[in-house]
Formats: sequence, C-alpha cells, structure tokens
Amino acid sequence: MSVIKIENVSRWYGNVVAVNDITVDIGPGVTGLLGPNGAGKSTILHMIAGFLAPSRGSLTVHDVPTWHNPDIYRTLGLVPERDSVYAFLTGEEFVRATAKLHRLGNPGAATRRAIEMTEMSSAADRRIATYSKGMRQRIKVAAALVHDPEILLLDEPFNGMDPRQRIHMMELLAKLGAEGRTILFSSHILEEVEKLSGTIQVMVAGRLAASGDFREIRRLMTSRPHVFNVRSSDDRRLAALLVGRPYTTAVELTAKGLQVRTSDFGAFCAQIATLTRDQKIALRELLPTDESLESVFGYLISSQGN
Amino acid sequence: MSANTSAPMTGGQTGQAGPAGVGAGSVIHDLGYRRYDGLRLGRAQIVRALAWHSFRAAFGFGRGAKAKIVPLVALVALCLPAIVNAFAMSRGNARIVDYDTYTPTFRDLLMTVFVAVQAPELVSRDLRSRVLPLYFARPIKTIDYPLAKYLAFTGACLVMMELPLLLLYGGSIANVHGGAAVWGQTRALIPGLLVGLMWAVVLAAISLFLASLTGRRAFATGAVAIFFLLTFTLAEILLQVESNLNQVGPAVPVQTGPGGQIVKHVLPPAPDVAEKVSGLFSPFTLFDGVRMWLGGAADPADGVANPGAFGVVYALVLIAILALCLYGLAARYRKARLA
Amino acid sequence: MTPPTGPGAEPAADAGLGAVAPPVIQAAALTKVYPGGVIALGGLTVTFAPGVTGLIGANGAGKSTLIKILLGLVEPTEGTATVLGHDSVTGGEQIRQVVGYMPEHDCLPPDVSATEFVTHMGRMSGLPATAARERAAEALRHVGLHEERYRQIGTYSTGMKQRVKLAQALAGDPRLLLLDEPTNGLDPAGRNAMLELIERIGVEFGISIVVASHLLGEIERICDHLVAIEGGRLLRADSIDTFTRASQTLLIEVEEGLAALQEELTRRGLRPTAYQRSLLVPIGGDGTYDAVRDTVADLGLPLSRMEQRRHQVEELFRDPGPAGPGTADSAWEAADVR
Repeated sequence: MSVIKIENVSRWYGNVVAVNDITVDIGPGVTGLLGPNGAGKSTILHMIAGFLAPSRGSLTVHDVPTWHNPDIYRTLGLVPERDSVYAFLTGEEFVRATAKLHRLGNPGAATRRAIEMTEMSSAADRRIATYSKGMRQRIKVAAALVHDPEILLLDEPFNGMDPRQRIHMMELLAKLGAEGRTILFSSHILEEVEKLSGTIQVMVAGRLAASGDFREIRRLMTSRPHVFNVRSSDDRRLAALLVGRPYTTAVELTAKGLQVRTSDFGAFCAQIATLTRDQKIALRELLPTDESLESVFGYLISSQGN
Repeated sequence: MSANTSAPMTGGQTGQAGPAGVGAGSVIHDLGYRRYDGLRLGRAQIVRALAWHSFRAAFGFGRGAKAKIVPLVALVALCLPAIVNAFAMSRGNARIVDYDTYTPTFRDLLMTVFVAVQAPELVSRDLRSRVLPLYFARPIKTIDYPLAKYLAFTGACLVMMELPLLLLYGGSIANVHGGAAVWGQTRALIPGLLVGLMWAVVLAAISLFLASLTGRRAFATGAVAIFFLLTFTLAEILLQVESNLNQVGPAVPVQTGPGGQIVKHVLPPAPDVAEKVSGLFSPFTLFDGVRMWLGGAADPADGVANPGAFGVVYALVLIAILALCLYGLAARYRKARLA
Repeated sequence: MTPPTGPGAEPAADAGLGAVAPPVIQAAALTKVYPGGVIALGGLTVTFAPGVTGLIGANGAGKSTLIKILLGLVEPTEGTATVLGHDSVTGGEQIRQVVGYMPEHDCLPPDVSATEFVTHMGRMSGLPATAARERAAEALRHVGLHEERYRQIGTYSTGMKQRVKLAQALAGDPRLLLLDEPTNGLDPAGRNAMLELIERIGVEFGISIVVASHLLGEIERICDHLVAIEGGRLLRADSIDTFTRASQTLLIEVEEGLAALQEELTRRGLRPTAYQRSLLVPIGGDGTYDAVRDTVADLGLPLSRMEQRRHQVEELFRDPGPAGPGTADSAWEAADVR
C-alpha cells in the first residue's frame, strides 16, 4: 500500500539534471533516502513536499499530485535541512505559529504535544537563537509534527546532533513509523541510516541505484563474491576443506582467522554448519564482512548496481 | 611505535654486498614520516615572514597576473611626473615637480586608489576564507597578525610614496651641475621623504582598519574609497564656504594712481579659525596642514591654507586618528575566534 | 554496565599506557563561564593518554571552548589545563609550537595552491624557508595529494580540502594533533580514506591525536581511548576496549527457518531470544557454540552469522530503557548482567 508514488520523475535546471527518471513507491514505516552529496535527495524531498514541480513525470500522495496543492500540507510535514526558523522567537512561539498557520482547532494543545514528543519542553520558553544545532533540529521537527501529519519528510535530520540527541531522534522516528506514519528521511551518513530504517532508497547522481532492504540488496549483487570472516578451532584444516569446495573462490589465513570469499552465498551458508560439525571443528565466529550498509553503498556507488 | 627508521634496507643481508656483478648492494629507502629537529624561529621572525608575505601581496605578487594590475599601474603612474620632470630638466628647465607636494591632487587620487584596492587584499581575504584560526593556532600572539599586516602595508605605501621622490631626485641631480646644486636638491628631498613617511603611516592605518571590518573585498574597497572621498569633499566644501564668507565685503582701495585707477588693493585676510578647522576633516588636508606648519611651502593646489600656529592641532588630530585606527585594528583581532 | 561518572566522582582512569607514558592533556576542574552567564565548561576533570583519543558529546560551546583553552587562546575561569607538560595559561606559545590543529569549518583560501599554502603555514609555525618547503611537500605526500597540489585550492573536492587542512597541521611536526570532525562533509569512500590516514598517523608516525567527532562508529574504529563530555562535564573517559568488550551473548542468523531454529534451540535448553532478524543465545561456555552449530546442522539450515556480541560506545548515550522483560534489547542486555 503505497502512500507516495513517484513515476518517471525528472527534474532539471538547465543542463544540470538533479533527478533523472526515478520511479519508486514509498509506504508506511521508515524509509531512508541515501546518497552522496548532490545526488538529488533534497530535490526529491522538496518535490514530494510540493515545493518544486517535476520537469517530467508525476509525484502523487494518496494519488493526488503534490504540486500546486496546498491541501497536501494537512497530511504532510517537511523538516528542511537549512536553518529555517526565526531565531528571535521562542521555541514554543515558533511551533504555535505553525499550528496557527495550519488553522488547528486547539493550537495550544497541539503545540504542547508536539513539543513533548520532541522532548523540548524544558527549552521551549527560550529564544531559538540560544539553541544548539541539535535543539534547532528538534524544534523544526516539532513544528512539522504539530498538525499530526501522516507523512513526515526530513532532510538530513541528524546533522550536527550529538549521540544522545541522535538516539532520541531515531527512537522518535521509529515510534512514529511504527504508528503507521510514512517517514522518509535523507542522509549521507550511513551509520545513522543503518540503525533506523528497514527500507532504503539509494540515489546516485540523480538516479535510483537500489531499493529495498540493504541486506537483500547485497544478496542481489551476485557479481561480487561475498566475504566472510571465520574463526574456528582449526583454521588451517578448515581452510583446506573449504578450498576443496566449489563455492569457495579464495581463502586467506590471517592472524585474526580465515577470510573466505565465496561465489555462492547460499551454498556456503547451507554447508558450513554441517561441514564443521562433521569434521569436528568448533566454529567460533562466522561474520559476513561486507554486509554493512557502508559496503553495500560503496559497491553501488562504484559500479551502480549489479 | 617508533616514529621513524632512517636506516635504509639494503639488498641481501645488512652490511653485505649484493651478488657479485650487481653492484655494492641495492637499497630501499624508508620514506616514512620524519621528525623535524631543526631550527625553529621565534615570534619576531614569524612576524617578519608574515609581513614580507603580505608586503608582496600588497603589490599582487604571489597571486597571479590580474592582482598586479592596479598596484603596479598606480606605482608607474605615480612615477610618471618624476620621469617627465627629468625629461624637462634635461632640456634646461628648472625642476617642475616639488619634493614636498609632488603633484598634489594626482597623488591624493592614486594613493586613495592604491589603499582602497590593496588593503582588502591584505586583510579582507583572510577574513573571507576564515583562515585566521590557522594563524592563531600557531606560536604567535594574536596581536602579531595585525602588527605584521600593518608593517607590511606601511612598507608598501612607503614604496608608493618614496620611489617617485627618489626618481625625481635622481632625475634632478643628473641634470644639475656642481656640488652646491646637488646639495640643494638633497636638502629639498629630505622633507619630501618625511612627508611620504607621514602619509604612509597614516594611510596604512586608516585603510587597514576600515578593510578589516568586512570580509568582502568589494565592500572594503568601497568603504575605504568613500571614506577618503567623502572626507576630502567635506573639507573642501567647508573651506569654500568659509573663504567665500571671508571675501564678502568690498575690496578696499588703498592707493589710487593718477587718473583714479585702483593700483593697490588690500590683500585678502589671513584664514580665520573656521577655515583652519575645515582642514581637520580630511586626512589629505591634515597632511598638508602639518606639512605647512612644519615649514613646508604652500602650493596653490593645496586643499588648505597655511594654518600657522594652529598646525599643532592638525598634528594632534592626525596622531589621534592614527592611534584610533591602530587600536581598532588590534581590537578587531584580539579575540581569537576559532570559527 | 558501569553508571556514568558524574561531577565530583573520580572519573575512570584511562587504561592506556598510563603508568609509563605521561598524559598528553590534563584538565583539572576546568571551568569557563562567558559574560552573560553561559557555562561552556563546568568543572571538567579528565586525562588524555597518548595514542588516538576520541572526543564525543561536546557540541557547540563546550567543544570550541575546550579547544581554545587547550591551545592557550582563552583563559579558563577556574581550573587548569596542561598540554604536553605546558600550562595552558603560561605556556600557550609553547603549546601552539607542538600542537597541530585542524578546524571543522572551511578555512582555506581558494586562490592559492596547496603547496604554497602549506609552505606558508609551515613558515608561520616557525620553520625556516627551506625546511617549510620540504616539510610541506612531505606532508602533502603523506596525506595523499600528488599533482593536484599545484592547482588552486578552490578547484578541490571536499575530500582534498580536508587533506590540505590535515597537511598544514602536520607540516610543523606536531606532537599532538587536534582534529575537529575530520570526516565532515565526506562521502563514505572519502571518510574511509581519511580514517585510514588518521590511523596511520597515530600508529606509524607516533603522533598523539584527539579526534572530535559525533560518529560513534568512526571512533570505535580508529580510537584507542574515548572521552565523552556532556553538559560541560566529563561523562566518561576510558579505553575503547572497555566500551567494546565482548558480552556473554551469541548472535545467530540463518537465511531461513529462524522460527524452527528458535524452537529447537529452546528444546535443547539453550534459551534463545528473538532479536530483529536473528537469535540471541547466552553463552554458557564453549559448549554453547558447538550446540548451536549442531542444531543448525541437524536442521539443515543455512547459517549466515554467528558472533559473540560486543558492546558499543553508543550504549553510553542510551538512557537505561523503560523496556520491560520480553523486548529484545533488554533481553540481550539482561543476558549480560551476571
């Protein structure tokens, strides 16, 4: 059940193609939009939010186009990357002003709720000019949440946050996603994305390079052998055994154990437990080394897919 | 973990020659990190290095061709009168250009252009690129940065002022004969050089201070240029107003010749206090005032008339401006901002 | 889990070379209050050992104030700081002689080449002209800038600019490097390269490094020690190993049949708990590994991961959760508490 449908969307500025023919559906839960700087993530977010029109293609939320559609803001909240707050207002005033702009029936209650959700209650009475960067981010999120939107778009939300603030923000987003909202956030810091989102969309140079769960994406990259770190009670004997198997392309003996390259991920996994049991080799560690989001991402960037 | 091994690794065993016929041992040199145990210069020399670097930047060196255009053209232009003078003197004329005043309006204009365009090169650039934290994180005091910049720019302005004078001198003595004449030229040169020093010291302070207020070179240039232009115009306007007021009233004939013609008029009165005060409003008129107070000759193109004893006020005001600008410059850099 | 150290309590001493090598930085009750009442540092007491130390959590006012104090550019309101044996107030110039600083923000002029710039900065560090030129060339080589070094800095990518910043800090042969968010703005490949470079400097060049970062993964990767600051005070200072010590939990992933595996392991008395897409099993001894392996083999399941869980630095910043029993996170933490 997709909430946001993006079909063959492109956006160009003269000769610069910021977004190049992207088709993707985004549903409830938390989705991470990844890509290097300049990949087009901000552009896509602003198009979904209705601030930019696509040069070609269609962007719809619940099957209604977002461009020139002020109604969309009832269901959508955007947290932009740049500082877009009035520094002379207090946090509370800023959120309340947003609530009033949305013509909410009870702006006071909505404001309080949004501020509590982002844990800004203690600082809400201070002027935004006195906030740290992380606090500014949070107050922007509060303002985007004040009208209880179904969809929340965040552009680089973790920028400049310290670890504790980041963890809190991630927990908040995870909670909102679990409530059935559609959360789409962009980041170029993989460490953050890995912990938070199940589904990722990877953009490279304006194109969509990959979609889905990053582990599964890795499995799809059959042209790249998988690399495992293995530690056992008898590494050398295990190495000799593995070399004899058709699914092994290389084995390296290092101080920290074995590094095994395999061309057939499935076959290796299916046989390793049986092999070690039957040969009476105790298995201490089995670790796929390049399954991190960082490795997957690196592969995607360098080879753009399979 | 040791920092470096400088012992090269020789082919084969250490110390032994390689296989016969291959030469006395091949070597792989260790290109690892090397410590520096050499001489470290102190603050004074670092300041000197920065001043020299900035002095060169004041004339566009170290930056590419375009940066040299304004300063070098200005310098050449300023030297032209001296060259023309040498030419004229070689034809038997007397010296047409003064050491003291040189070519007043021309010099005012060119120096304004020079400091307005070059002061930002020295200070605004660094502000814009936010490189200052890298300077402050070095073994110098925060005051050393503006100090070095000021020394450099004063030196550059000094070159602008004195080089033409020296050319004038050289051109003149080449065309006069006899020890007495040469000595006469020399005696005239010295005050000119001192005037040049006064200009350099004050102009550098004012323009650097104004330029240090912004990182945008265009704004800085504008600010400096407008400052000098405005103050000069202001002083001139006040002066005009005053001297017009002074000349109100009939010229009183004192002596009539046969036939009733007026032969002699009373001379216009000496400048009154109001006129003298007008000269305080512009650095250029202040320069002229101080120069005349100290005994320099009046020049018809001067902005002001001789202030006489009032000249001490001129000097004090000039010193006050200098002090204010230097203090402002130092204060601008006092807080070592790391961001 | 050891509770965070609060003010007044003795902070955990670093477990580095402590007894043998003197600390590179020592702060004692370091306090800085700005006019207007902003408390940037409120009684920070901590020791930095030689090696690579990560500095986390000090954001905004705290971090920049601490750096300024350590460089001797600002006097603390109270307390003292000593860097490489020099007091920050009386020995500021000596400190700046032996410390290299790499700021977080853009700080390079666009219209000079890297060579010229780093040479000039070498001279600003007090190196004579020839030495400055040579060390600049070496520093640029070490950071991996080759022909690019003759082009103007304005034409560089972010990664190259970060390297120039690092090179200018290295040119003066510092004993200590202060790197403020060195991977800021870099893409994953660039970040990787920078982290490798920093590691190399720390290990091969014998220079102590303090890396201020908010990316915990990075810190876990290259740092030996960690100093965590919060609210202007020390939260925790310890060696990384302490933070990433192994827990007594085994994590198992299979490509299919997770539910069946959980059932069978339970049947064999191993007490597995579900955790995201894997299972956690408390380690009772070496036998646990074999039992798990055998179960997987008996069921014919494809095993894709088996590892002893390690703690993470991140836990320092997690509030003890309200999670009750039954949720995976508390389960694997609970399994660790013995």
